[in-house]
Amino acid sequence: MSATATSRELSLPRWLALSIAGFVAFFGVWWAAAASGFVAPQFLPTPLAVLERFVALTQAPFVGYTLQQHLASSFGRFALGFGLAVIIGVPLGLLMGWFRTLDAIVSPLFDALRFVAPIAWVPFAALWFGTGIGGPVLIIFSGAFPPCVINAYRGAKYVEPRFIEAAQTLGASHFRMITEVLLPASVPSIVAGVRISAGLGWQSLVGAELIVASSGIGYLLVKGQANISTAIVMSGMIAIGIVGFAIDALLRRLEQRINRRRGL
Amino acid sequence: MDRGRERRPVWVGVATLVVLAAAWYALTTLTHAIGSGRFPSPAEAWEALRQITLTGYADARLLEHVLHSVKLVLLGFAAATLIGVPLGLAMGASRAFEAFVNPTFLLLRPIPPLAWIPLAIVWLGLGDAAKVLIIWFAAFVPAVINSYSGVRAIEPYLVEAARMLGAQRAMFVREVLIPGAMPMIFTGLRLSLQACWTTLVAGELIGAIAGLGHVLYQASLDIFPAMIVVGMASVAVTAAVMTVGLGWIERRAMPWRRA
Amino acid sequence: MRRTIAAIASGITLGLAAAGAGAQAQQLTEIKVSYQPALYWALPFYVAAEKGWFAEVGLKPEFSTFPAGVPQIAASAAKSWDVGGTGSVPATLGAVRYNLLTIGITNDESYGNALLATAKSADGFVKNPASIKGQTIVLTANSTGDYAVQSCLAKWGLKKSDVTVKSMGQAEVISAMSSGNADLGGLWAPNTYTMEEKAGAKQICSGQDAGAAVPGALIVRAEYAKEQPQNVAKFLAVYLRAWKWLNAHQPEAIAMMKKFYEQGGVTISEASMKKEFTTRPTYDLAGQLKIMQRPAGGASQVDGWFTKIGAFMQANGTFPEAPAAPKFITDEYLRMVDADPKLKAFANRAD
Repeated sequence: MSATATSRELSLPRWLALSIAGFVAFFGVWWAAAASGFVAPQFLPTPLAVLERFVALTQAPFVGYTLQQHLASSFGRFALGFGLAVIIGVPLGLLMGWFRTLDAIVSPLFDALRFVAPIAWVPFAALWFGTGIGGPVLIIFSGAFPPCVINAYRGAKYVEPRFIEAAQTLGASHFRMITEVLLPASVPSIVAGVRISAGLGWQSLVGAELIVASSGIGYLLVKGQANISTAIVMSGMIAIGIVGFAIDALLRRLEQRINRRRGL
Repeated sequence: MDRGRERRPVWVGVATLVVLAAAWYALTTLTHAIGSGRFPSPAEAWEALRQITLTGYADARLLEHVLHSVKLVLLGFAAATLIGVPLGLAMGASRAFEAFVNPTFLLLRPIPPLAWIPLAIVWLGLGDAAKVLIIWFAAFVPAVINSYSGVRAIEPYLVEAARMLGAQRAMFVREVLIPGAMPMIFTGLRLSLQACWTTLVAGELIGAIAGLGHVLYQASLDIFPAMIVVGMASVAVTAAVMTVGLGWIERRAMPWRRA
Repeated sequence: MRRTIAAIASGITLGLAAAGAGAQAQQLTEIKVSYQPALYWALPFYVAAEKGWFAEVGLKPEFSTFPAGVPQIAASAAKSWDVGGTGSVPATLGAVRYNLLTIGITNDESYGNALLATAKSADGFVKNPASIKGQTIVLTANSTGDYAVQSCLAKWGLKKSDVTVKSMGQAEVISAMSSGNADLGGLWAPNTYTMEEKAGAKQICSGQDAGAAVPGALIVRAEYAKEQPQNVAKFLAVYLRAWKWLNAHQPEAIAMMKKFYEQGGVTISEASMKKEFTTRPTYDLAGQLKIMQRPAGGASQVDGWFTKIGAFMQANGTFPEAPAAPKFITDEYLRMVDADPKLKAFANRAD
């Protein structure tokens, strides 16, 4: 018997059975709530009704495009905002972890802006970027940026002092210190941060698309709402959920592979 | 010598804020490099702050807005904690429970809180319940995840010792499980609180008549950048104060931890 | 010899013609046009683009759409668009914040901006408007819908403080009312028709009923208007022609409207679409000039409309002082169209 606070490991069949049971229970409760008439069917469609609508959205355009096209449009915005957050955030975090002065300069500003919800930037996004892709990208960036910086920063700060001292005795320049000591040592933390960042960035999408009126899954959601079609709203939510889950699963795989490579 | 190096960052931090403030003033008021339509000058922001504190904006004064928002955040935070922490602990302690609950959790988790607004309105109406639901969705995820990790991280020798001493289930939970997981529980609570504040703005889109999110929404409709900045700053300050409060509670709850 | 000269002459002529055509194709000037999708007054933009009328006057439109008036106005700060159409309330806000000029009227949408009530409560409110006191009204603040609702309240002798106003986007208003979580709401068409058809709501008072004229505005950035007055005039001419065509070709107009609305996610019955045409008057060139004409030292009809709207927004606290109508409303560009025989003829074409 293992000496952890957790009960022992489950056998595969038992795990599978329980997972399936949980899955079924979720849909069961949903279906029961929908069928009971407690909420009007218009506002709580059955799982089947939502599925039908979901499939219909992939085949016929709604507000100009099919579901996949809307998703692609949103993904493009997400990729830009997320990409920028990683490209700017990770190096910044590493630099802040190494250069005390930079840390002192940037930290107050960062801490102040961190609490600002991505959606609060919406009015400024419209003011500064107007119609361009810059507006939504700004909002996604504001959601995705903090974890990149924080995790890179923590990674750099908590590198084993021995490594730093060794490199210093060997006369490493700042650049080499950062790229050859801090960066490799911080990789687990950075990858964890990137994963969280992707999740937050993808979640900011709905807020980001509030100023958009052409395409996107967030836009589809609002239009579904305006059409009094709860099934469309739920389809949109499911689509966002599936893609968000897929992004997270992919990044977690990457994280595990990197950790395994390093023997963690 | 070490003291000197420690002090430098603090001094630099203060100097930075001063430099930033000066730059803000210069860019907006002195040179008009940033037009007043795009970002407010310090004077405009100050005017807006005076207006909302003394005369009021968006149907109430600043204090009332803050209190409304704090109430919603506390409700959401309490709901997230009361549901999320036990759920996370149970998932951590029992693999069977985890296997059963995980599918639902994984299905609901990636959906952004903002996306729940249409459903929140049609199910719960325009009152506080709908707003709290949105906040809850954001806040309960970190609470669950961190409580779960907290249980998984409990040192095996503590569990061994408890078992050796013949601890019953209830005592085990009270004396070993919860205190053992507490550091991570509090990490989760801190993230939860942050999520509450960032989601508050979204939550107050549902028919609020007061609150900082309501101020931000009204200011965006009026295209009043100075008030938006005041709103953002108010959220940041109030959130920071609450986080400090949470830290105080954390220290009381875990006196054995050395910060 | 003669044949050779003729051949060379025709060759040169053809060459010049080709070059001319090519040059004309290259001569299309870009102009950035903004509007909101699935709205009646935006239909002319769609039609004009489909029919190639912009190109006929040498313009190449680059369209940008916005979910509401406010982000559209905000985007002008970034010079994202040059000309466009919007509601009169956002247009006034734009005049105050970003020096946007109102250069024409898109339509009279007084009927299309209204206070609606849910099926079960509508009769009660109609019979006894005083019972609206103490109720909650959901609407989109700083919009023409807001203006219509408050005008209706004034008509019934109620004050804004007699009710609780909750502001939210039109989609949220629709959600709240259709699910029975709000009995009263301020909406604009086609959302009014969506509510009527899909949720059984009833329109109990429109801007028209309250005696409040709600125009739609054609707008331009003041800077752009100064730089490219000719383009602004051409833009107006295209818009006017599009309305002429729409009003003269009802069946095709309805078909195009259906497509245009669907693109913006709105599906309403053909009857409602027809109602849009019958309840919302539009103005041709002569009509526009008439309502915008200022008698010596006096105010035009349009000035009067916008002054009332400005006062409403000032009372709401949107800005401390309403803009003076002559400062931002101008018929200068309409007069340019009128003065140019070619453009005038173009603007009056109904084919």
